[in-house]
Amino acid sequence: MHSAKSDTGLKRLHNEDRFVADPPLGLYVVCDGMGGGNAGEIASALAVEAICTHLAEATQRADLPLIGSCDATVSPTANRLASAIRAANDAIHRESWSRPDYVGMGTTVVAALLHDEVLAIAHVGDSRLYLIRNGAIQSLTTDHSWVTEQMLKGFITEEEAERSPRRNIVTRALGVENSVDVELTEVPVKSGDMLLLCSDGLTRGVHPNDILHILGGSDSLPVMSDRLIAMANEAGGDDNTTVVIVALRDDLQAGLWERLKKLFAA
Amino acid sequence: MPETLPQPAKLLVKLHGKGSQHIELTLNTVTIGRKTDNVLVIEDPAVSGHHARIVKIQAVFFLEDLKSTNGTALNGRPITRHQLRDADVITIGQHRLVFQENVAPSTAAPAPFVDLDRTTVLRGTDRMPDGPTLSAKVLVIAGKTDRVEYPLTKQVNVIGSQDGAVIRLTGWFAPKSAATIARRGQNYSISPSRDAKYLLVNGADVAGQQELKDGDQIEVAGVKLTFCILSGTK
Repeated sequence: MHSAKSDTGLKRLHNEDRFVADPPLGLYVVCDGMGGGNAGEIASALAVEAICTHLAEATQRADLPLIGSCDATVSPTANRLASAIRAANDAIHRESWSRPDYVGMGTTVVAALLHDEVLAIAHVGDSRLYLIRNGAIQSLTTDHSWVTEQMLKGFITEEEAERSPRRNIVTRALGVENSVDVELTEVPVKSGDMLLLCSDGLTRGVHPNDILHILGGSDSLPVMSDRLIAMANEAGGDDNTTVVIVALRDDLQAGLWERLKKLFAA
Repeated sequence: MPETLPQPAKLLVKLHGKGSQHIELTLNTVTIGRKTDNVLVIEDPAVSGHHARIVKIQAVFFLEDLKSTNGTALNGRPITRHQLRDADVITIGQHRLVFQENVAPSTAAPAPFVDLDRTTVLRGTDRMPDGPTLSAKVLVIAGKTDRVEYPLTKQVNVIGSQDGAVIRLTGWFAPKSAATIARRGQNYSISPSRDAKYLLVNGADVAGQQELKDGDQIEVAGVKLTFCILSGTK
């Protein structure tokens, strides 16, 4: 079960965010594009398209070569996700040379691919993924942003980071260079967990505790996503806001046989 | 532009007094020793029958000493098991083996000038990717598995019968996934999978998630395992 919602916000004319929510594939993505004119929209749209295409091809052909190096610390599925993101980098980078107004366009990406009870997470830039479990919220991504890097080095505090005029500087983005360093993580997940993928339009104005409050305050995913968007706009609505909320439940079809087995085993 | 696929890693073999030759590391395991059943045979009484081996785990190579009499050194330091990196020198007796991984040089084109009104990208701060460090393993005490010990090289290490499980259960009724051992930072924790009937750590039932400490005894799906932190092998 999921709910996804994207909003232009109060100050922007365009929505440069794009998202994917594909439960059969187990794929959830949020991209926040950047660039002059409509280049940001082009970049984020190209990214989601290229990621979906690469993953769809990989399901057809198991021998589809991986783009970039293989990370032995994560599963083949996670490596495939990173490969799809590198494919998106190639697509955007190539397109950015095609027209003068596209030069330098790029996008952030946070992508989650669910396989069995393991979640592969890949990200570039400052879009985030939160895991909500047992009434607690935890970010599973670390922003590739200037302020976050300064904070991790201990040069500035979290409060200074939140107020910094340099909050909008990301240190990695898709499409800007001919190759990209994708951060890959894998975590076990289980039924009852909730995931939130979001662009920085949400996280700039809304504290994780407030997010947790909203996600725990309703049983309806669409209500939660509406409230998160409303809260981002109340906090200024300076930027586009996109939220993808995923509630992990035992898959009924696949679970039937397992439940029967458990019944007899019990 | 997609990067070209890496070429196979090579070993430059410099046998003492016998010149040098290249061998390609295309096999998942390259055994080294005096006996003729090794992949790389070194005829030297100072070399043990089965002296050492190079094991490929996905894209990463590890050098393992097989409890040889005179030991195996990597870059001058004796090792039992160590990850190999490009240009590492393995010393066995008076022989030298140079590990050569074909790391494709990145020919980064000059990046286009960017003048973005909003979010901007700052370059040149890319961190070095953290190499997979072998810092924990589990030993199989009892139960049906395909090996007796498993290095926990992945972030999520599945215990089960499924393809891709790190700790591979081979019993008839073994669940596809019984539990997972996950690493975050330097901490390892274990959690039961959906199909697990029970998960015990040191005899106590684990329902959610539990952090693992050196020496913890794990029981799940008919197998008993000991969790070990390997210190100093970075």
